[in-house]
Amino acid sequence: MSAGRVDVRARLTRIATFLGGIYFFFYFVCPESMIEQWGIQEANEPISNGFIVVGTMAIGLGIINIISAHGSKVIFKRRGWQYSVALLVGFLAIITTTTAQWIESVKVSKRVHGVQVIGDFAQRIIEDDQIVSGRKEGIVKSVSPAGALPQVGARISALVSYSNLQLRKINSEVNESRAMSRLSQAESELLIELEQASRDLEASAIILTQIPRDSLRSEDEAALQAFSQKAARLASAFSLVMRKNASTSLSQRVYDLLYNGVFNQLGSAMFALLGVYIAAAAYRAFRIRSVESALMMIAALIVMLGQISFGKHLYSEMPAICQWLLEVPNSAAFRAIRLGAGVAGLMLAIRMWLSIESTSFTTRNK
Amino acid sequence: MNGFEHATPGVLILVALAMLLLFRELRRIRGGHQHFIRRIPGIDALEGAVGRCAEQGRPVMFTTALTDVGPVLFACLGVLQAVAKKVARYKLKLVVPQYSPETMAVVEDSLRAAYHEAGRGSAFDPQSLVFLSSEQFAFASGYMGLMHREKPGAACLFGVFAAESLVLAEAGQQVGARQVAASVSPEQVAFFICTCDYTLIGEELFGASAYMSREPVQVATLAAQDRFKLMMCGVIVWGVLCATITSWWPTLRIVMPQDVLSADWSTWRAWLP
Repeated sequence: MSAGRVDVRARLTRIATFLGGIYFFFYFVCPESMIEQWGIQEANEPISNGFIVVGTMAIGLGIINIISAHGSKVIFKRRGWQYSVALLVGFLAIITTTTAQWIESVKVSKRVHGVQVIGDFAQRIIEDDQIVSGRKEGIVKSVSPAGALPQVGARISALVSYSNLQLRKINSEVNESRAMSRLSQAESELLIELEQASRDLEASAIILTQIPRDSLRSEDEAALQAFSQKAARLASAFSLVMRKNASTSLSQRVYDLLYNGVFNQLGSAMFALLGVYIAAAAYRAFRIRSVESALMMIAALIVMLGQISFGKHLYSEMPAICQWLLEVPNSAAFRAIRLGAGVAGLMLAIRMWLSIESTSFTTRNK
Repeated sequence: MNGFEHATPGVLILVALAMLLLFRELRRIRGGHQHFIRRIPGIDALEGAVGRCAEQGRPVMFTTALTDVGPVLFACLGVLQAVAKKVARYKLKLVVPQYSPETMAVVEDSLRAAYHEAGRGSAFDPQSLVFLSSEQFAFASGYMGLMHREKPGAACLFGVFAAESLVLAEAGQQVGARQVAASVSPEQVAFFICTCDYTLIGEELFGASAYMSREPVQVATLAAQDRFKLMMCGVIVWGVLCATITSWWPTLRIVMPQDVLSADWSTWRAWLP
């Protein structure tokens, strides 16, 4: 890389850092009224999205690093290549499972949406008729490609035939679910609810076929409204059944096994190691080798005894001493550390924002 | 304001003062002023630990653990660069386990620069950066595994740590690595003191890179933060005096530091002529 290009790279980094920081600086220092007036708050969402995008790109880097580091180890059979195989197999297994799960959830959402639109369509017919007859203000959205709004009767018959199609699909899915596996009580109840909802909608659809073809009367509107409500009930019952089915699918079961059964349990096991390590570390730390370690030992002993009833049994003031140790010297030390680190962090943040950096961070000597 | 904190004019003045102090110290130090930095035994030990690795032919391990991209990471990078230059000169192996992919990109760039500065750019191996996991205990178990396989002679634990701190430090202790830790989390400092050979407490982490490199920018930052802290101590003394006086004479009305710092813009407008 030439010196000129390095310079441009460094300059671009500085500009981007400054511009990136200036938003947060203004957001922090300006009074609320000014933030609203200048529209600073409106920039919040795109900037937050920008962070997510950068984070996502970085995840790609992590994946590339895992594959290249462990892949090369396996290919060249370097020391410990077996661990890399385990890692890559685990990585692929979880990627495959989550992808399958994602595809399944997209399918479920599409299927549920297909049922949800029945109620929305009925509602739309009512609204459009109200707008056309001047009973409501608004714009008619359901216009055919030719530019004209189809007749109410035609729309209703389309609605009825679409809902019948969906009901047939739902019924066959219910029958399949019943035939394929033994259902739990909760699952059976869900299916009964779904069947009831689909029967209600079917009955409602028969009423709709009697509506005249030109415009809606008030009783027709009421019938459509009732149909829409029943369709919403059907959609909600169907959504519950579909999600319940998805939760027992193969991909979900494999995911549960890998994540909840293996990953979380291993994490808990690692956390449990802390108990052993604390004892080992305490043994090393509490050996009295100097005045400081003696002080630490005494303080730790008082705090430990102060937390248990045996301490109170030994000396009634033990909990009070323990509390004083925690609230006074301990808090003072904590605050001092936090204040020091906070001030140092502030200085470093200013330095980073204004790109007052040492050469190592800003230039490359290639 | 939904989830955001806003500076009061008092805090804004403090931030402006911090900026002014930084520029003033930078000018003074670039002009030849020598700022005294007290000895930090942990950092002196770090230099010895790298030398020990060279004698034993063992690698050096450096982790920034759960540190995200931010001021703490940049403070850690200063130390990492100094360690990497020594590692490059002694032709040692450096292992840098990573928790966050964002951090990894920054650390890699910084390491590459350090190797170039040491004159051994070609010796830099991108695979010395090992991405383990973004899950806390998965990272800890990966770190333990690396520690037991690589058996480093020295381990540096710099940055932000949580419950995994003891797991990491104990793993180093088990393989007999000389360990230097630095954390800004006071809760973890106690664990490091128990387990590591040397521990840098709180802001010493920020001072470490200035101590090692003596670069004007870093020393000026250290000097500015010292001055700013002195100022904050003054504010604390002012607060203590005010609290003491008002406890003696409760009817007396005096301006407390928190009144000034927490007063909003409308209060300041009323104060100003």
